[in-house]
Amino acid sequence: MANAEAAVRFAELPVPTTHEEPWRFTDLRGFDPASYPVPTEAIGAAAASVLPDLDVAASAEVSEGGITIHADALPAGVRFEVLDEHDPRLYGLVGWSDKFTAHNAALWKHGLLVQVAKGVELEKPLYVRIANSVPGGALFWRLLVVAEEASRFTLIEEYASASPDLPGYTNAAVELYVEQSAKLEYVSVQNLSRETWHFATHHARVERDAELDWVAGGFGSKRGKIRIQNDLNGPGATSRVTGAYFADGDQHLDYDTFQEHIAPNTESDFAFKGALRESAKAVWRGMIRVEKDAQKTNAYQENRNLLLSDTAHADSIPGLEIMANDVRCTHGATLGRVNRDEVFYLMARGLSRAEAERLIVRGFFQDVLDRIELLPVREALGQALESRIPQAL
Amino acid sequence: MALLELKDLHVSLEDGTEIVKGVNLKVDSNEVHAIMGPNGSGKSTLSYAIAGHPAYQITQGQILLDGEDITETEADERAQKGLFLAFQYPHAIPGVTVTSFLRSAINAVRKAKNGAVDDPIPVPEFRTELFAQMERLSVSRELASRYLNDGFSGGEKKRVEILQMAMLKPRIAVLDETDSGLDIDALRIVAGGVQELIGPNMGALVITHYQRILNYIKPDFVHVFVGGKIVEEGGPELAKKLEESGYKEWEGVPA
Ligand SMILES: Nc1ncnc2c1ncn2[C@@H]1O[C@H](COP(=O)(O)OP(=O)(O)O)[C@@H](O)[C@H]1O
Ligand SMILES: [Mg+2]
Repeated sequence: MANAEAAVRFAELPVPTTHEEPWRFTDLRGFDPASYPVPTEAIGAAAASVLPDLDVAASAEVSEGGITIHADALPAGVRFEVLDEHDPRLYGLVGWSDKFTAHNAALWKHGLLVQVAKGVELEKPLYVRIANSVPGGALFWRLLVVAEEASRFTLIEEYASASPDLPGYTNAAVELYVEQSAKLEYVSVQNLSRETWHFATHHARVERDAELDWVAGGFGSKRGKIRIQNDLNGPGATSRVTGAYFADGDQHLDYDTFQEHIAPNTESDFAFKGALRESAKAVWRGMIRVEKDAQKTNAYQENRNLLLSDTAHADSIPGLEIMANDVRCTHGATLGRVNRDEVFYLMARGLSRAEAERLIVRGFFQDVLDRIELLPVREALGQALESRIPQAL
Repeated sequence: MALLELKDLHVSLEDGTEIVKGVNLKVDSNEVHAIMGPNGSGKSTLSYAIAGHPAYQITQGQILLDGEDITETEADERAQKGLFLAFQYPHAIPGVTVTSFLRSAINAVRKAKNGAVDDPIPVPEFRTELFAQMERLSVSRELASRYLNDGFSGGEKKRVEILQMAMLKPRIAVLDETDSGLDIDALRIVAGGVQELIGPNMGALVITHYQRILNYIKPDFVHVFVGGKIVEEGGPELAKKLEESGYKEWEGVPA
């Protein structure tokens, strides 16, 4: 029994400390995942969405109380349903090797299976919203996505909280199988309350000539870690991950990304940009690993942070581990501030200081926003970022 | 009452070094004043101080716009009141297109004029005006959707400065070495664009090292600026004299 094994593992493992390299910049002291009860009913109204009213093919809402699915008009070959704990692909990518994936595997109850059959193309996106609503409670969430051969579709996942200061703990495990020649667009937007500890492990496997286009938006949560792993597992596989985040107050965001090139002729392109205000902190770790058979790999990663106050802080830790000899890997990390001369230039045209700064911050994100193919998502994320820039910085 | 008046203006850098050492100047609408001075004499410092750059501190004296003391106001307020500075070195703003920037700037000025209530320019009106001005100043259409000054050539930046001026229609324009980086054809077009705006609604302060631009924007008054001070004043003939003999006569004169 997976659950039982995972529960044992969870109990055995200590909460990671800053002595462990991946957690060096993310201190979890004061947080005990075991202390959070797992409610079985949601409380109050649904959380607000940062995404506009999208025209979707099907949607699901997940809360402590369960999962509600609206999928009346789905074409044949599309499964959008409650995840079965015996699904053969479950745990294939996200098992229970560490404290948080073990916690998820031990306790998850609500999961969604999204499986699109061979050759099926969906024009409208699929949408799932995960919202925590019980003060002091935990919410475990599990998503399994299978894009079968040559299928094409978009899945949008949004994390939210019923109120902006709801204390809580959310733990997500997401497995994405992108099979031969399929194209999956996956949008994951996190807008949890600033009192929610959030841990998520997203792991995708991309097969021959398949394409994964991923957008990660980070606005909420208190502290935690979001892991994103892409395995380029078949020749010609490509993945692109675009991240945009904004944190303020004492929020602490942590992204741990892993580009794992297994097959030859594969491409990955990860670009993360974030703006940080007040005492917010961001940690970004990027690892590109090229296995010895993965010749002709083309891998790129970048992380650019814009600090909007003297007390904001960002750490970027890029990493390369290359076993093949004919590859192209590039990475870059920068840390910047809003430049006083640029602000003056805009003010000299009549823009107030706040408007000038807003325009500069918006401009900073523009190139990552431009990478988002879905126009409504691009606009919604742009607006969500913009709304976080206050009237006066 | 002059449109722009500088009264005994002193400007220091943040480290306290005084660069502008007492300037008196009056510019009216319908007038072109040239300030001519060698490199390092403090011309850009003077123009930044007029526009309200916080790094250039006015330690003494006043700046008046229509008789109103604007010495203590911020750059945005000065611009909203009709002051425009064409930068010697315009900054790049990645991710912000020329079009969206111009619309924001115009709307900011309109809002200020409308008692702090939004009064956005209708989009069709804005586009018509923008394309007409771009055509007049030979700015290629493609630049409108590029990010402001990002990767622009020196000449493109200068043209876009004047495009901004043409769109914002200031009452007083300070042009800081707008001629540098422009070839003769571009200079003719840009200067023509400025000249056209000079009239009952606008006066200009043309800051330059060389006399060249003054062949296209005819100055009514020329002020020779050396070591942070106006050392001589006269009519257009003074510019010709400078072209021949340079600034030697005044350099080395203790400030
Ligand atoms: N921001 C600044 N920081 C340090 N020095 C400056 C700054 N701005 C101007 N200066 C100095 O002030 C003097 C005048 O410069 P500037 O006003 O640019 O002259 P001009 O425009 O006439 O060439 C120069 O010595 C220059 O190095
Ligand atoms: Mg200068």
